[in-house]
Amino acid sequence: MYQPPSLLEKWSQENNELVNKCKQQEAGGGAVSRDHRQSSLRWCSSEFHKLLRKIQGIPPHVDHSQLELAVVYNTCVCFTAQSQFSEAELLLKEATERVLQVTGNNADTSDPLVLWRAGLKSAGNTALHPHVLYLLCLQWALWLAKCQLENIGELQEQMSSLCEIVCDGVGDCSPSEAKGRLSKSPLLVMEPKRLTELLQICTSIAQGAEKLNEGRSSEALSDLQAASALPATRALVAYTHLLSGSCLAHMNRPQMALQCYKRALETDSRCVCALYRSMLIYRQLGNTQAEIQALRLLHSTLMLPPATEPVLGGIQPLSPSLLLSSQSLSRLLSVPSALSVLYSLALKCVLSGRVTEGVEHYLDLLAALHSEDQHAVDAEVSVLPRMLELYLEAGTALLFTRRPADCMAFCNEVISTTLELVPEKVVLEEPEEGIGGDARGLSVEGEDKVAMLLWAAAAYLLQGHCHTHLKDWKQAVTHYTRCINLLVKVHLKNRDFQPQIPAADVNVKHGKDLCTLQRMKGLSLAWRGISFTQMDQLREALRDLQLSLQAFPDYTGAGLWCGEVLWRLGRKHEAAACWEKTWSLTTQTSVEKLPLYLQDPQSGPLLDSVELRLRIQELGLT
Amino acid sequence: MEGRCAVETWAQFGFSGRSYKVKILCGFGTDVLICTGTEEIYVFSKRERKITTVLLLPAAVSDLVGNQDKQLIYVACRSGVYRVNLQFLLHRDQSSQADASSSPAELKISQECLVVGADEVSSLLLVGSVLLTLCQRDASWLLTLYKTPKQTASTSHEEFGSFHLPVVSAVDCGAAESNRGPRKGSVLICIHSGDVEASSPSNASAESTVAQDHFHLEPLLFKLLFGVEAALAKSPVILCGLPDGRLCFLPLRLPGSRLRVLHSLEQPVCFVGASVVTETGHAQCLVAAGEQGRVVLIKTDKAGSEGGSAMAAFTEGCVPGPVWCGCMDKSCFYYSTGADLLRLDLSEGSFARESKERGEETSGMTAAALQSPSSLNVCRVIALAEPACSTAAGDVQLLGVSARGQLQRICLPAGRVDEGSSKLPSTQVSRSVRDLLSAIGDVCERASVLKTVIKSKNQFLRLLNHAVSVSFLLMADTTTDLPIKEKPIRCHFETSWSRLLQKDSLSLVCFLHNSSPFVLERGWTLSITVSPLSYSSSPAGESSSTNFSFPFHDLRPGQTFEASLPIAAAGDASFPMTVSCSLIFSLSSLLGEEEVAASFAGLQSSCISLPLSTLTVDWLHALQLNSPTAAHKMATVQPSSAAADSIQTFLSSRQLRCSGRTNKGGESAAKPESEKYSASVWVSSEIVRDTLKPKKSSNLDAKESIRDPEDLCLSLLERLLSEDTEGVKMGCQGDKIALSTSVAHARGPNGAAMKLTVKEINVGEEESTDKEATIEVQIESSSLAAVCGLHHAVLRRIQTLLQSATEKAASTKNVQILGLRRALQRAEIQQSQISGAFGEVVSTVQRDRLLLSVYQELRRNPLLIV
Repeated sequence: MYQPPSLLEKWSQENNELVNKCKQQEAGGGAVSRDHRQSSLRWCSSEFHKLLRKIQGIPPHVDHSQLELAVVYNTCVCFTAQSQFSEAELLLKEATERVLQVTGNNADTSDPLVLWRAGLKSAGNTALHPHVLYLLCLQWALWLAKCQLENIGELQEQMSSLCEIVCDGVGDCSPSEAKGRLSKSPLLVMEPKRLTELLQICTSIAQGAEKLNEGRSSEALSDLQAASALPATRALVAYTHLLSGSCLAHMNRPQMALQCYKRALETDSRCVCALYRSMLIYRQLGNTQAEIQALRLLHSTLMLPPATEPVLGGIQPLSPSLLLSSQSLSRLLSVPSALSVLYSLALKCVLSGRVTEGVEHYLDLLAALHSEDQHAVDAEVSVLPRMLELYLEAGTALLFTRRPADCMAFCNEVISTTLELVPEKVVLEEPEEGIGGDARGLSVEGEDKVAMLLWAAAAYLLQGHCHTHLKDWKQAVTHYTRCINLLVKVHLKNRDFQPQIPAADVNVKHGKDLCTLQRMKGLSLAWRGISFTQMDQLREALRDLQLSLQAFPDYTGAGLWCGEVLWRLGRKHEAAACWEKTWSLTTQTSVEKLPLYLQDPQSGPLLDSVELRLRIQELGLT
Repeated sequence: MEGRCAVETWAQFGFSGRSYKVKILCGFGTDVLICTGTEEIYVFSKRERKITTVLLLPAAVSDLVGNQDKQLIYVACRSGVYRVNLQFLLHRDQSSQADASSSPAELKISQECLVVGADEVSSLLLVGSVLLTLCQRDASWLLTLYKTPKQTASTSHEEFGSFHLPVVSAVDCGAAESNRGPRKGSVLICIHSGDVEASSPSNASAESTVAQDHFHLEPLLFKLLFGVEAALAKSPVILCGLPDGRLCFLPLRLPGSRLRVLHSLEQPVCFVGASVVTETGHAQCLVAAGEQGRVVLIKTDKAGSEGGSAMAAFTEGCVPGPVWCGCMDKSCFYYSTGADLLRLDLSEGSFARESKERGEETSGMTAAALQSPSSLNVCRVIALAEPACSTAAGDVQLLGVSARGQLQRICLPAGRVDEGSSKLPSTQVSRSVRDLLSAIGDVCERASVLKTVIKSKNQFLRLLNHAVSVSFLLMADTTTDLPIKEKPIRCHFETSWSRLLQKDSLSLVCFLHNSSPFVLERGWTLSITVSPLSYSSSPAGESSSTNFSFPFHDLRPGQTFEASLPIAAAGDASFPMTVSCSLIFSLSSLLGEEEVAASFAGLQSSCISLPLSTLTVDWLHALQLNSPTAAHKMATVQPSSAAADSIQTFLSSRQLRCSGRTNKGGESAAKPESEKYSASVWVSSEIVRDTLKPKKSSNLDAKESIRDPEDLCLSLLERLLSEDTEGVKMGCQGDKIALSTSVAHARGPNGAAMKLTVKEINVGEEESTDKEATIEVQIESSSLAAVCGLHHAVLRRIQTLLQSATEKAASTKNVQILGLRRALQRAEIQQSQISGAFGEVVSTVQRDRLLLSVYQELRRNPLLIV
């Protein structure tokens, strides 16, 4: 005798079919593109929603409630996966209210926390209780996704009991019992146990990041270390190690932090962030070799093709990335782009004396910037310096490795690019305190004219150095002269000071541009003087070297050469005084802060201090 | 604008209304693709003058871009972007052409061609391998970048970046307009910096064909608008005009770049392009036109404002009428208002700018130019394109689609050619002048260096020329065999004894006379090798030759070079010795040492050696005559040498007593008084007379002939002692005069005393009938070596004497049969003695002795030389 299926059966059948379809699509999801997956999710959620509306069309009833709650769960999972949090939240709220209605309680409150407490209480020990708990899981996920960690904290006890029940409940049942329950109960899109586990570790991570952000490092550390033992995917466990490391770094325990980062890397080799953090610690510790090594590793890891969509949460609609969207966490997990890592590597290599290596990295960097594949993808603020500065730095590095011709080619490129845009006259004002340096001198097109001029001048300076290196003094003088001619176009304007006071403290008070300008003036004049010396034009040399000392008194090279010229001119006592004065100068301004191209060239004629001292001694004797 | 436009209708396709975006895509060979905003895309073949194919897409088409290289088109529809392989389609089309020639083939583009599943894409752009789509999403404009696959077969288009720009809600008048229809035009073009084109020729070739949405902008303007970074990275810049009037740009390949607003037209942008193309192919002016006729021209203002540097000048203006569509050629902007097709000559404005001063006037000029576009009298054009082939003859052809759905070709009268005179600002001029000056300085320096190089090279060549000439001269000498006196470069020698530190030494003075027309300069060296004629004395086979070389500095023609070389101290020379002299020309000394050492290490030994002459210095040359004056000298200096002699004698005698007669040297020294060795040479006195006569007659005119045998002997002796044989001469002229008798006492170079006697004897004792007057030269000395040496020398002299006189002596045919016979006899005896000496087993001492006696016999009884 055929008995038409009841509505309940029909609905639960429909639900089960949908769930199966969903799972099928997700199982094959690896191959299908993201768009496809999104659209299938969209379809699923709309179907579930339709079904739910049918079920909810009749007043709440105990018999239906189990199915209804299951469908609510499924719908909410789909909504959440599509980041439609408000819709999901609304559904959850309605569902709770209906549960209360079924159990005969009435809640007038709209506060979700109160509602949930009431709901859980009313569900009590009924058959509905697990389903209500499942819904609570989803609420948890939503809060986590929306970074409302305080709500989670409020319901801490409910959550922990939930965890116990959900995780143990399934385990308790004997297989036959579970089977019987499964056959009766409607299917779910995502297993609640999985969801709970995921939620637990994600919550720990998010809370840890939050605490770390608030400065409660030690507290965060213990939580995170506890969380690292939770069952989860490798990537998430790696995150806990990573965050522990960050906590330790905050607590000023770099070695232990390094250990944690290492563990993070061991857990998940794709955890580039750990590598990056380690590099930062090495930098902090001043371990240049290790830093370079870390940078190199970081770069090569970043250059690896992205793995086939790292399956963080397995085949699940809810991915950890959805749940871990807090800002403080993303800040902790951010890693600079491969190009800026390459740049840091190149600069570090050059500064630490591994020039040839540095040059290679610079050239790689420029090649990458010029390649067809390079595209303006990363909208994040880039750490890379301006392109022209890269050119100049690469040129300097090339000069360091005695490849003046290549250096000159780079400089030519810079000059040809900038020279047309260099103004006839430019006023360099002291930056105002409030606005800062950015507002000054910017033209409509966003190009800083002063910077343009300084770049062109620096290119000429470098070319001069190249010719000096080649011992082509005449050309060197020409290029230094061009540099000087550009530099004198800058007029200093100052509200407080009289303009052009060559005082040592000017460097501190004025902006970076002024410091660059003065140093470049000093360098170009000094080296023109040195070139003149080589051409035996001692008077011009003396004039230039003295001007150089005026512009930039701290430059020892100019001082020594000035003495040398005086000596050659027969003014030996003046020369000795000049040398003594130069030697008595305090240490040079820190080289690291300066752009690479403003450093003293490592080639060219040198004066031997020992020899000079000997000369002074002889002078004293006679 | 007198000439009228010729409008030719090419095809008609049924549609009406202008509410859709119509686009003409040229450049696929002879095919033109037209999308009309419906689901259909028409492929029109210019060759066949008809629509060959209709592509049917699933939804209404909003944009269409093409890739010429791969023959691909991308079509943006409502539901996504489709990729169509045109080549494939058209090939299939051609094959099925035969049967369906009358009606166009209809091709349905299936869902398989869908490559990007984005909705409502309003504009497309292809930049290299990157496909860009522009669409509006909720509250922002979204520019998305997709990577197109390298293989046309694969369909995966990976999205790798997107840029957002929030929608501006307050679009003043455009809002009402956009409500009217679905038209939501946006424009997407790509700007390349001018200098990029030069670096990649593939771009340049593509430019002419893809030019519809790719433009090459003048580098300076590019830098001013989009920044130095983009120019340096050689990044193309995406420029998009939005319906809200904004003109945004995005440097495509610059890391960290954002979509930024360049300008706002405040009305929907319907056209963006670049024009005023210079000879280099760079556009100087960027043009954007709004729907209501607002046009902005962006150019470089080189004169600039306060700073003197270049600035980008934005000139806004309004052109009459709404702008439905537009297109650009090299100097003009064409647009359709629906009622008319208008031309705006942009180069005119820029031309005026060049000639006039800067300031208000220029913008006024440009604005004025904007005000007065010229009418072309073509109406109802809703889409325009400039086909690639149109600029061949200077006249312009445009393709248009009319509102009634006709594809028209519009031929415009030829425009005038504009020439842009470039003018540089003063700063650049001064800089370039400075550059030029320094360049001139460099060139000058270089020129002087080159000059000296050339000079030295010339010098070198001259020297080489001389060297070659000299060597030819000398080679000619050896072949023609001139007598030594007539050689252009010849040398002769004199021997002379000198006393230095109480030791007699023989030195050889070499005279080199240069009678050639060439100067022997730096690089030439006279090399003299002195080696003993017989090497027997040197034990280990090492040659005991000595080399002397005398570099010349400047031996002019007619000059003589004199060099003196020590041959031997008394007693330790082995005469006779061979002196060979040669001229050596070495390249290395010519080039200069440092150069050679630097560059050609192997060249150092390379030189040309030219033999001059080879002579023999024999005993006669080395004789020290004991003339009365010499005797005096000897007497004064005797003690040491006498003592030495006596000691030597004593020593030798001791030696003899111990070892017996061992060798020649010992023997000769052992018997200074008792046993004298002698050797003699007989010469027919007639021959001597004959040979001596001509010499004498030339040298001494007083003595006509030498009748007296006494005289003859004396002159022969004189001749022997002082004759300049082969250029070697005895230097002791003073002593020669003192010869009064035909007996000369002398000391040899080894210090042995010897006697040289010349006397007339008669040979042939028995039969006096055939007496021959004979001169005997007898050599006597206690030293066997001296006898041998002198004998050799005398023989050589006489030989040469006779050689010079062979012609004259040929008449005397007296053959001394007698002498011969006797000589033969003696020879037989000696032969038997020698063989006996070797045959018997005797001690070496005995054998030596025997051989010596044979030798002496030979020397004592010479043959008469006739």
